[in-house]
Amino acid sequence: MPDDDPPLLAVEDLHTTFYTDKEDIHAVQNVSFDIEAGETVGIVGESGSGKSVTARSIMGLIESPGRIQPGSSIRFKGEELTGKSEKEYRKIRGSGIAMIFQDPLTSLNPVYTVGNQIKEALRLHQGLRGKEATEAGIEVLEAVSIPDPRRRMREYPHQFSGGMRQRAIIAMALACDPDLLICDEPTTALDVTIQAQILELLEEIQEERGLSIMFITHDMGVMAQIADRVNVMYAGEIVEKAAVEDLYNSPRHPYTQGLLESIPGRNVGKERLSTIEGDVPTPNAVATSCQFAPRCPEAFEACDRIHPSMVEAEGYGRDHTAACLLYPEDLSEADRIDHHRERETPVEEREPTEDPR
Amino acid sequence: MHEEPTTITERIAANPRPALVWLAVFLALFALEAGALIQGVIVLVERIIVLLPTEAGLSAVTGAKQAAAEIPTLISREVIPNYGYRTPDGAWVNTFPENLPYVDSGLEPKWAWLIRNVLAFGYAAALLGWILHGYNVFRREYREADWTPRDDALGRFRRHTWGKAGFVVVFLFITMAVFAPTLGPTTVDRNIVQPYSYELTYLNEETGELDTVTVGTANTESRSAGAGDQNFGPWSYDNYDRFHPFGTLPQGTDLYTFMASGARVSLFIGLLSIAISGTLAATFAMISAYYKGLVDLALVVTGDSIMSIPQLLLLILLSAVFAGHWLGEIYSGGLLLALIFGFSTWPFLWRAVRGPALQVSTEEWVDAARSYGQTPRKTMTKHMLPYVIGYLMVYASLFIGGIIITTSALSFLGGGLGVNSPTPEWGRAIAAGQDYVATQSWHVALIPGVLIVLVVTGFNAFGDGIRDAIDPESEAGEGETEIVGGGAG
Repeated sequence: MPDDDPPLLAVEDLHTTFYTDKEDIHAVQNVSFDIEAGETVGIVGESGSGKSVTARSIMGLIESPGRIQPGSSIRFKGEELTGKSEKEYRKIRGSGIAMIFQDPLTSLNPVYTVGNQIKEALRLHQGLRGKEATEAGIEVLEAVSIPDPRRRMREYPHQFSGGMRQRAIIAMALACDPDLLICDEPTTALDVTIQAQILELLEEIQEERGLSIMFITHDMGVMAQIADRVNVMYAGEIVEKAAVEDLYNSPRHPYTQGLLESIPGRNVGKERLSTIEGDVPTPNAVATSCQFAPRCPEAFEACDRIHPSMVEAEGYGRDHTAACLLYPEDLSEADRIDHHRERETPVEEREPTEDPR
Repeated sequence: MHEEPTTITERIAANPRPALVWLAVFLALFALEAGALIQGVIVLVERIIVLLPTEAGLSAVTGAKQAAAEIPTLISREVIPNYGYRTPDGAWVNTFPENLPYVDSGLEPKWAWLIRNVLAFGYAAALLGWILHGYNVFRREYREADWTPRDDALGRFRRHTWGKAGFVVVFLFITMAVFAPTLGPTTVDRNIVQPYSYELTYLNEETGELDTVTVGTANTESRSAGAGDQNFGPWSYDNYDRFHPFGTLPQGTDLYTFMASGARVSLFIGLLSIAISGTLAATFAMISAYYKGLVDLALVVTGDSIMSIPQLLLLILLSAVFAGHWLGEIYSGGLLLALIFGFSTWPFLWRAVRGPALQVSTEEWVDAARSYGQTPRKTMTKHMLPYVIGYLMVYASLFIGGIIITTSALSFLGGGLGVNSPTPEWGRAIAAGQDYVATQSWHVALIPGVLIVLVVTGFNAFGDGIRDAIDPESEAGEGETEIVGGGAG
């Protein structure tokens, strides 16, 4: 990849905090990743790991009491998005970045026909009205393989099946003609066969229109099918990033290893499927140690003291990094600890924390 | 597949017959009363011009008013008159249908009055029925969608007996208010405001001759003032052959005329104040639900501050401040009252709809609208407001009852509060009849009292009906119990 060309989306040190009455939740911490034009970047992680907050931060949809911390940077086509006013942000939303939400049941307003809502997007982004808008709406419904689109335009969301509804929502996003499509668990609420169809549809659309897709899911299987590159998130941080084959063939971070070991299809013949014990902790303080250490089978004493940073964790190929004290593998344990300690954020910049255990 | 027409105009052009039939009948119905409507509008313009510092245009408006009076209107006291007098030989002159050509004897005033009232209420019912029919025609012939969520809400309301009963009462009340000038056996101006400027002819029973007397003098002879005094109860004639459907007031004025006109004042105050407070409540609910955080907090503090002001004290204070001011003169304080209610009631309404507004703001379709760059204003009006408007209607119908009853209570108290004389207001009729409740003149306080209770109950029942109609679960719940019952059996 040529370096002089800025990526379509560059997220750097994204830190989003929710200031609730009880505590501050650092839902996303130091998250950095790029999305190039035409590629699909996946974000995978358990519930509560900060995937959706990352997506909403990019869309500028973080509501009070949440706030994107200063120092965070989100650049879309080289343009800084953080700190933009609502009005400026509206120009990016839809035509630049569009988003598909998890639940196709509630993403469409039940009191308007599907056609009405698609036409709303068309009018907003392409200035189409009346008959023109109807024709264009029928076209996008056709593009997402909805049969009999002319009739479907006049129907209400409840008259659509779950899969059809998700297609209609994708059609709405396409009506905005975006460069980047953020899919926030678009297949979670659907059954497996429909899931496969939707994934196929997304791939088709990407090929036709040269879209970039940021795909969020907790399902490692879905991720393997759609993503080019994958970021694994845990408790608000990215713990491993790699190209999809590298990640599945040689996961480096113990968390990723644990995730892959708990997929039934990959572990045929095992008597019991292994699981990761415990829960994702709530990130109510800026991390000063490895967040995964309490659940990690390979944790050692230093894991509770030092916050690991992203380092080279080469398995098969390039650009494979992990945030774990076990890497870089070629150094001795003491050197690795020093390596990570050096790259740690200075202590005085951090807020005091309690022992996570 | 053949091309289907897409816009409503195209659909009507493709199949114009039902729309044209509906429109023709509607225009015919409208033409019957067009004169009254045009006159009403002109009178309103005239009132506004009188308030302005310059007199410019007043003469033109007066001319237009005279011209409008010439437009024939079916249900008017000119077409179906009930004033008039008896000749010594017993025939009625000047009452309906004596005013028509080739008819030389009129009906008794009470029948003339009754015919006019039946026609007015019948007309209103026919108009409402035709408009509902129009909606059905639209739904059957022209609507793009086979089904909309509103269909279910209407269906649920149609099965809601209590709500329908409320609707009927509200409808009758509104008809009474709208047709007030036509309904009364006499007019407010002639009977109450300037009784000494008008004269009437009557048959003097003692001399057996026709005499003339001012309305004011006749009124003093027609008082309903309790035991030992005169009394003209409901459905009776006074000594001047004037008919009083509800009897007379202690001042001798006609109670039915007073009530019909009072209904107009009550409805005006109720609707205007609910329109003001409803608009404010809906706007603020949208804003606080969309922006949340500090904006919401600021509105909560503002709303709570206004709610903490005792409304009665505020009313007394403002009534005193605006006494003699032109704002306090309109409708004898009615407009001022409506404004005070409007601007002091909104926090209560807003509090009631803020919850639903916050709820709908968390729906994914609102996020979806924002995520494709919809403007805040459009997101609020298109994707949030429809959800809140049902709740607003429920609370508005409950509050309108409250406002009507408070207005009457203030007028009952009198002393510059509420709506002052000479503008009729139901509460003042109750106050006037207060001393005669236990006498033969019981009707003076009882009829307005019963009507207020009926109207307020009607509005509440209507609100109940709307609430159940907009709640899709109101029937599902009943269905569930039935299933459970069936399983147990």
